[in-house]
Amino acid sequence: MTVNKVELAPLGNDKYQDLLQKVVAPGPAEEQPAPRGRGESPVRPSNWVEKSKKEMYIRQLKVERKLSIAASRLALEGQTKAKPKPKRKDKAKAKAKAKKRLKRPKAKVAAAQSQSHTGSHNVYAHSKPRVVVVKEAAKAQRPQTVLKNKDSNQHKVLQQTIQSNLECFLFLQQPEEAERFLLLYHRSPVKRRLLNVNAYNIVMRIWARKGCLQRINRLFSMLESIGLQPSLDSYAAALECMGRNQSCTEAIQRCMQQLKNDGFHVDELFQKCLFEEDEKENVLRAIRIVQPNYQLPPPPSPQTCKSSLLRDFYSKEKMVSYPKLDFSVQELQERFQQQLEMELNNTITIESVESTKPLTPQAIKARKLLATLRSRWHDSILQALQKSKHSMSKLKTASGYNILYPYLCLLPDEEYVGIMLQILNTLSPQGESLAVLARELGSKVYNRYITQRKLRSRQLEKVQEVYEDYIHLLAKDSQPDEYLPREYWEKLVAEGGFGPSLNLKDCSWPYMLIMRLGMHMLELLVHAVKVPRNALNPHLEHKLIPVLYHVYSFRSSWQVGLIKPHPIFSQIVSDAAETLLTFNSSAMPMLCPPVPWTSPHFGAFVLNDTKLMRFVDGAIQHQLLLEQCPPVNLHPVLDALNQLGNCAWKINQPVLDIIISIFNDKGNEKLDIPPPISEVPRPPATPSNSSTWNKSQKHELLLYKKKTAEMHSLRMDALYKLSIASYVRDKVFWFPHNMDFRGRTYPCPPYFNHLGNDVTRAILLFAEGKPLGPKGLDWLKIHLINLTGLKKRNPLQERLEYANEIMEEILDSADHPLTGRKWWMNTDEPWQALACCMEIAKASRSPDPAAYISHFPVHQDGSCNGLQHYAALGRDLIGAISVNLMPCNVPQDVYSAVAQQVEEFRKKDAEQGVKIAQVLQGFISRKVVKQTVMTVVYGVTRYGGRLQMEKRLKEIDAFPEEYLWEASHYLVKQVFNGIKEMFSATRDIQNWLTESAKLIAQSGQTVEWVTPLGLPIVQPYYRSKSTVLNCSMQHLSVKSSNSNQKPDTVKQKNAFPPNFIHSLDSTHMMLTALHCLRQGMTFVSVHDCYWTHALTVDIMNQICRQQFVALHSEKILQDLSKFMLEKYCRPGRETRAPWQKKLMDQLSNVPKTGKFNLKEVMDSTYFFS
Amino acid sequence: MLAGRAPPGAAGCRRLLAAALAAGLRPLLCGLRPCWATARRAAGQWPSPGLRVPEAAEAERLVQQAQQLQRIRAPLRRFIACPQLARTVQRCLQGGASPGPRPVLLECAPGPGILTRTLLNAGVRVVALESNSAFLPNLQSLENSLDGQLKVIYGDFFRLDPLVTGTVKPPAMCSDKLFETMGVAAVPWRADVPLKIFGILPQKKERNTLWRLLFALYECSSIYRYGRVELNIFISEKEYKVLTAKPGEVRAYQALTILWQVGCEIQLLHMEPWSSFVTNLKNGGRALPKSTWLPNDHLCLVRLTPQQNLFTGGLKPTNSSTFIFMVKQCLARPRSRLTDRLNSWSLDNGGKLLRELEIPDNAETRNLYPEDYRRLFEALQNSNMFTETWFHDEVLDSIRNINL
Repeated sequence: MTVNKVELAPLGNDKYQDLLQKVVAPGPAEEQPAPRGRGESPVRPSNWVEKSKKEMYIRQLKVERKLSIAASRLALEGQTKAKPKPKRKDKAKAKAKAKKRLKRPKAKVAAAQSQSHTGSHNVYAHSKPRVVVVKEAAKAQRPQTVLKNKDSNQHKVLQQTIQSNLECFLFLQQPEEAERFLLLYHRSPVKRRLLNVNAYNIVMRIWARKGCLQRINRLFSMLESIGLQPSLDSYAAALECMGRNQSCTEAIQRCMQQLKNDGFHVDELFQKCLFEEDEKENVLRAIRIVQPNYQLPPPPSPQTCKSSLLRDFYSKEKMVSYPKLDFSVQELQERFQQQLEMELNNTITIESVESTKPLTPQAIKARKLLATLRSRWHDSILQALQKSKHSMSKLKTASGYNILYPYLCLLPDEEYVGIMLQILNTLSPQGESLAVLARELGSKVYNRYITQRKLRSRQLEKVQEVYEDYIHLLAKDSQPDEYLPREYWEKLVAEGGFGPSLNLKDCSWPYMLIMRLGMHMLELLVHAVKVPRNALNPHLEHKLIPVLYHVYSFRSSWQVGLIKPHPIFSQIVSDAAETLLTFNSSAMPMLCPPVPWTSPHFGAFVLNDTKLMRFVDGAIQHQLLLEQCPPVNLHPVLDALNQLGNCAWKINQPVLDIIISIFNDKGNEKLDIPPPISEVPRPPATPSNSSTWNKSQKHELLLYKKKTAEMHSLRMDALYKLSIASYVRDKVFWFPHNMDFRGRTYPCPPYFNHLGNDVTRAILLFAEGKPLGPKGLDWLKIHLINLTGLKKRNPLQERLEYANEIMEEILDSADHPLTGRKWWMNTDEPWQALACCMEIAKASRSPDPAAYISHFPVHQDGSCNGLQHYAALGRDLIGAISVNLMPCNVPQDVYSAVAQQVEEFRKKDAEQGVKIAQVLQGFISRKVVKQTVMTVVYGVTRYGGRLQMEKRLKEIDAFPEEYLWEASHYLVKQVFNGIKEMFSATRDIQNWLTESAKLIAQSGQTVEWVTPLGLPIVQPYYRSKSTVLNCSMQHLSVKSSNSNQKPDTVKQKNAFPPNFIHSLDSTHMMLTALHCLRQGMTFVSVHDCYWTHALTVDIMNQICRQQFVALHSEKILQDLSKFMLEKYCRPGRETRAPWQKKLMDQLSNVPKTGKFNLKEVMDSTYFFS
Repeated sequence: MLAGRAPPGAAGCRRLLAAALAAGLRPLLCGLRPCWATARRAAGQWPSPGLRVPEAAEAERLVQQAQQLQRIRAPLRRFIACPQLARTVQRCLQGGASPGPRPVLLECAPGPGILTRTLLNAGVRVVALESNSAFLPNLQSLENSLDGQLKVIYGDFFRLDPLVTGTVKPPAMCSDKLFETMGVAAVPWRADVPLKIFGILPQKKERNTLWRLLFALYECSSIYRYGRVELNIFISEKEYKVLTAKPGEVRAYQALTILWQVGCEIQLLHMEPWSSFVTNLKNGGRALPKSTWLPNDHLCLVRLTPQQNLFTGGLKPTNSSTFIFMVKQCLARPRSRLTDRLNSWSLDNGGKLLRELEIPDNAETRNLYPEDYRRLFEALQNSNMFTETWFHDEVLDSIRNINL
């Protein structure tokens, strides 16, 4: 325990604070003798240790305060000191403190954030670890309001740590251990504050399962002794125990009486508590002992969303049956079983697309070697793991015990070994940062633990049961049901009555704990895995050397710890050219329709834990917000995600085969098929003795290495995508969806999905086929021309005519893709164009194209979607025209319009003799302004805009270089003026949003809002704060945002306008998705690009426009202002503070809007096209 | 290693010399007797041209004027504005010189030229390397008024030999061009100092610059291609503490310490409070830095003279990057044991090696003397450890960021 406690511990009241400070005050402890460093022995020669220096330093340290130690460490390391006697602790504290100080300079690694947006850990495709600066400056006290807020959050993390520990004991069925752990906290008046009633409840549940009523009674009295109220869960545990024991009537009656006295009702037990295994049955049995006729309360009647935007959608009168899939109940059940099996295995190993290559003798030899090594590694890892567990368990009998020990007992040893070997197999030759590896190891254990828990609590059984009924809604051979997937699922669950709850009690592990566990496993791995030095070169003497070595990489002033495989290992692996790939089961598309989202915790995969909202590591704010939100408000969002996830896909096999053939040949950079490493041009031969290389030789070698690393990651990424695609080539599959914090939706499987690049999109088809209909073929042709990037500014009719003109090229591309005239290769999106050519060829050659069954998705893109939303928000007339909100004969191009406007300004200035305006004559074009206009929506500043301009001007050879700075400065000013002129209200709105966010963030709060669909949103930007994890291999500095800090004002402010617009575009997409569902059409989206069958493009276009009009007919800004006033300026909350007044003025002053008539959008052809 | 503590100097001179002077900066030439002068010039000593040295307030005004002319906000720079400080620096620079011919003095970023004039008056031959074109006219007119004692070059010493490939745009420049213009030829490593350099390290890039100079030193590239160039630089007290730290000093004893101490003789010439220097900030602020861990109240004038015997042992310019890499790896975690480090590099028999070097088994990396690291490196060099390909690859990777 260190001084950090002051920082960490939740300071609910002053008493507590005093207490802590007393415990922690440096005081006379400063005079303590210098503690010995871990490895120092007294025999060390004197010149090695500069004793006096050190002592002085230590004294200095004690005076200084260190801040950045994690909440979790308090909780974790606290346990190592069991004796709560204050005096002894004081001493220990000083010691620990000094010890920590001495370890200061350390590698500071922030966890990479690859998870935040892809939800995956990309082992090969290098996700760059974010390097974060640890601030050492002392922090000033925060204003009181923030403090409270902060504490409640910090508290949460600590409680989470304690609870996850207790949950471990629950899982392991170790009531004594759990109680011992609880008592550790309970007995210390300081630590006790971290306990809440939930912690006691977990221990009660363990005892309840064992039927030990006495122990539960004791826990009740412990609760009472510290003034905590038992909660419903406490009573549930007590009753469960009584039911299990068939206790006497009086005891049960007493318990139920007490329950009533505490203000609860018996029915609430079944309405609010979550049950596992047979808990529910036992509670009911206990109640029926005293009330034999007790009946379970009826399930709550389902609520319907009241949003005006979805009144039609949810109205029961207009209810139509849910669109059926082309599968029978039987077939869907089989698919579900396959999916379940895959998820139960946690990982799946598939053949890569490279497996068709012939095996060389060298590869056979290397594979044999690798197999022997692997079995040896397996044994040595297992041994190391058991040894470390043994020494940990020994510790248990002493004063404290190791915090990680229970986490290393959750799974069979073999599973831990498997996880570690898996990491070893996927390590790239360039190595990986410690933090990334540790997180991956830790979260793999966590995921398997969750799977085990779901099995153990019999939750899986129940899911299986419900799912089997659920598929009747989707199967073609069952009765139509007028339900949405979510509604139907909820109905089935309600009808099910008994059994475990589908939601697990919250059991997530704190981020720091995952890292700590991961680091421990990594250390084992590094120490245990060895390879003979002479494995490749028999002339060397035999000696075992480690396979993994730990080095530091220096990035300017930061050092990052890396784990690299020894070149011998990399060589063997590359020689073996293994063609098996192992993926997490969540990286694969689902083989059955996803489990519908019914709550923020439940949906998507059958077993794999998926969050409704992706989050930045450690951020828990969204999750809390979602939990607090009334479930009915989330219904539209959940239904939209279910709709997107229920779209069935299949593989476009002919295209896939062509791609694989190029991939397995030499790749093709122009077509975006990464070539194999062997294709990298080798640098010219260099002298073998590296020390004689000159600078340019070194430079060349470095470039070569860099190129190799890049190619490797590109190649691996493509290999993953293609291999997964090839694995599901004959199957129908689904992509479950979730969303980011702004409500933008994403498919969960990270590698292969429809959000991918041109190559991946080209191999995807709708599983469901629909006839082309009268206009379908035309739409296919227009789509093709859209994909080429030609004719962007021509009307649809001309695009169609152009397609008909070049029909010969199209058919040639379709028939002889690699041997013909290759027209498709010279388009913007070659692979999708090729796929489209093939579809057109097939359709046009069929006897009746209108009846041709097409699986091909046709896309409709919003034109500058961000500006479209702005223009609609501000009702900007000119702006609306330029982004195609107004009907026009030809598509409008906002970039040309701005360029024109700027040119006008320039002319005027030039006439008035402005030098730079004269210089710029003839240089202003669409291309110059495009990037800046595009990024204006996303809040580009003048500074950034100028840099963009400078880049563009530099590209123009004729432009005089000496004017670059002045010209770019002038241009960016004029572009901003031009946009202001055209989108007058847009700039006002943007400024209003920015300014409001600034004031909110400055008042120490985060910006929150609610989308028109009712989704609550919070911006997760906080000032970064690092937590140092002391591990024996290396100290890891982990960036964590869970300990609630001050919001990052700059980010909160700058990101608000774009985030707000993104939340609107996602709302528009979801509205369109839901209304398309009502029309029985297929619909998926890539943000502002909507996909459907050729047959239904027209209907989708209509719905898309209708919903845009409906969305913007809402008083979006007024509602936002009202919400924020309510949230941030509630009377009674420091109304006198000056910022409050300022904020109130700002928020109430909603910008004025222009005269654009929103209804015009309905007739605009090029709004989405 | 000489690191005597010099008394803080002209802190208050700014205050004393607050009276603004209206006089122009036209150099006042006193009569020169040519024949007498030629003889002394040959020995590198020139007669005093008797230049007027502007007072502090005027110098400050000049800096502000130059700043006004800048289109983009220039990075923070410090200047010597007070004549008294300039004299102190001049004395420091001339002190301890050998009786033989005196090398040229390259003054980096002279700005208003206070020190330049003081040095010229003291008979030193000066090359002024100025990166801000606003200061150039004044310096050039001074150059023209003298008979070859001053040479003015447009360029930035701290952007010498830029890492990026492609054309070098002024004020960035290549060292060979600079040396050619100065007329300084390369001499063997063991020869005398061919050139003295004076400069104030830019505060923001201080550490970076120290690293870059270090790489150049060990590789004998850039300025060190011409021999043991003597650096006289003002660095922050904090960095000075690092450069001169002793083994075991927590925080201060770093890889940078070891490498500089092996590479150079480090001499403290003078310490001056931050406030004595004029900055180019618009508001005239002094931009005093803060430091939490090490004292940082002064700028320290430090002389870094490369060791004559740097490359006499196993260390060579060709393998020195491995040495640098090894030291950095060791000091990445100063409390780790040396044996653990060696083991983590999959070294065969680290224990035996350490015993031969008489380094205790439990020695922490921060407790080794710089010389020990040199011996360790030479021993490892002999044990073939560096021929293991991986170590070599790492070295290449690590130098990519700073050097190349």
